[in-house]
Amino acid sequence: MSSDPLALDTSRIPSRPSPEPRPFFRTPVSETPLVKAALIATGLAFIVLMIFLPLAAVFFEAFRRGVEPFFASLVEPDALSAVRLTLLVAAISVPANLVFGLVASWAIAKFEFKGKSFLVTLIDLPFSVSPVIAGLVYILLFGSYGFVGPWLIANGYQIVFAVPGIVLATIFVTFPFVARQLIPLMEQQGKGDEEAALSLGASGLQTFFRVTLPNIKWALLYGVLLCNARAMGEFGAVSVVSGHIRGKTNTMPLHVEILYNEYNFVAAFAVASLLAFLALVTLVLKSVLEWRYGGELAASGRH
Amino acid sequence: MPRAGGTNATRADERHRPSPVRIDVEELGKSYGSFAALDNVSLTVKPGELLALLGPSGSGKTTLLRAIAGLTATEEGTIRFDGEDATVLSLRERRVGFVFQQYALFRHMTVFDNVAFGLRVRPREERPRAGEIARRVRRLLELVQLGGLEKRFPSQISGGQRQRVALARALAIEPRVLLLDEPFGALDAKVRKELRSWLRELHTETGLTTVFVTHDQEEALELADRVVIMRAGRVEQIGTPSEIYDEPATPFVCEFLGGVARFEVTAKEGEADVLGSLFPVEGDGDYHGPALAYVRAHEIEIVARERAEGVPAVIRAVRPFGPTVTVELSIEGRASRIEAEVPRELYSGGELGIGQGVFIRATSARIYAAN
Repeated sequence: MSSDPLALDTSRIPSRPSPEPRPFFRTPVSETPLVKAALIATGLAFIVLMIFLPLAAVFFEAFRRGVEPFFASLVEPDALSAVRLTLLVAAISVPANLVFGLVASWAIAKFEFKGKSFLVTLIDLPFSVSPVIAGLVYILLFGSYGFVGPWLIANGYQIVFAVPGIVLATIFVTFPFVARQLIPLMEQQGKGDEEAALSLGASGLQTFFRVTLPNIKWALLYGVLLCNARAMGEFGAVSVVSGHIRGKTNTMPLHVEILYNEYNFVAAFAVASLLAFLALVTLVLKSVLEWRYGGELAASGRH
Repeated sequence: MPRAGGTNATRADERHRPSPVRIDVEELGKSYGSFAALDNVSLTVKPGELLALLGPSGSGKTTLLRAIAGLTATEEGTIRFDGEDATVLSLRERRVGFVFQQYALFRHMTVFDNVAFGLRVRPREERPRAGEIARRVRRLLELVQLGGLEKRFPSQISGGQRQRVALARALAIEPRVLLLDEPFGALDAKVRKELRSWLRELHTETGLTTVFVTHDQEEALELADRVVIMRAGRVEQIGTPSEIYDEPATPFVCEFLGGVARFEVTAKEGEADVLGSLFPVEGDGDYHGPALAYVRAHEIEIVARERAEGVPAVIRAVRPFGPTVTVELSIEGRASRIEAEVPRELYSGGELGIGQGVFIRATSARIYAAN
């Protein structure tokens, strides 16, 4: 060792003082283990009691008498008709709200005009109004004693207690979902990209399909999913306007209620479990999207 | 760092390069409610010129640039490209290359697709074939020193690179004029400096009439052929960098260029006393009354006590970096400090101690009548 002049003579370096036992340190925003455990336990208990158990109960009740009664109550004509109606209502109201939501958020996020904040409030209205009132509004408008109802009925258009009324009520209730997703994102993105595209010679349509739409596609899909989930599950507003005509104006949630009131628990829970299953599929898709689109948002934030 | 690529391809194109466009802005007016963003603005951008619009925020410089591009509608006045009224042309028809402050790159497209965008959206009969588009995009990316980054997304490249992608994208449409909004605003100091000289070279290379907006006086004076200084929607002064620097037309220009000490003085017979010496009032040899005097830091001289010229001052701070040493001084009856730039020798000679009393005088001053 001494032959190498560059080598360190370790004997002359004072040995590091033996580390004193450091007092337990935690970051200022953390809690003691006891408090942590208590908080986590409370949270878990709440989730299990309020969300997991009810969900499990739905599936448990549905299969209580076995697999056969479960499927029998799903293929029974009234149930099938309810499924069909639910899908039909969703198939009309979701695209309608996709277009309305897109147009509304485009206007709100990219332009300045009088009454803009009023429009934003209007879009939020369906969230704050009770769905029952939403249903009643359509009865007041289109019912046989309503404002335009008598004229429509005289001309052969049945709105209330028929499919059009259910679609209208569903559109009303699910109206904010797409717009609420898009407005903040589009406001954050601003008009810069569109201006750039236009200055490069793109037409309005080219700008929309090549620049605007790709920028918002994940948020749009996310909004559509939420909208769809609500459209299929809506009870209150639909219940008021539907008239509960079996095999004709019953959607799945209404069908569940009727079956339950008739003490047909297996059938009620079987249909309910189908609804719950659809909701779960939506949730999984939503999580996948969040994962995807969360990254995209972060990337645009860095931008 | 980047030097404008002098590739054979670009030289070959110079042969059939269209002659640069002249821009005339005539009595342009634009207001937002009661706020006049542009107030009777007239100026001419000479063909092939690199012009800077300089001013504080809210001075209307960006509004003017956007009006020239057709991004902002104006209420009064005309903009002409080579004599042709451009105000009636749409954004598309004006064919203006615009580089946005935050670049506005399309985040879902690669660098290549971003640059190709302007070519791909052309109507079918004017659109080049895919191979031709690829060739042009490659050449442009080489011109802006970004060859090899075609497949990256905007989020995967640095700020300076994004800036150059935005430039290449704007140049792809073969614009008649090139407009840049705060081209270096979002970059750090070092990259700014590098891109500055690079932009100058690129301008020589493309020969396009170019207008850029900046709030950085150093950037404008260093880069531009001529500088337009704007204030509250009006043009305050137009001139070459040396004209602006040597003969600032108004007190505002003086203060905006910065590095000056301002004195409120009283003029008699067209002259006023600034730090113990008499200087003439600009443009009025007979002026009596209140005036504003501006002295640049390097025009203030620190003199030894024995000579007793000028006015007494006390050294408050010394900033000994850069080619000269900046000395902060206070004089009696003045709240704000005066900065003087003195040769390094004076500092290394040990003559500048904090708290030391000295005498200062002005070697030059610009005086403007206050009313």
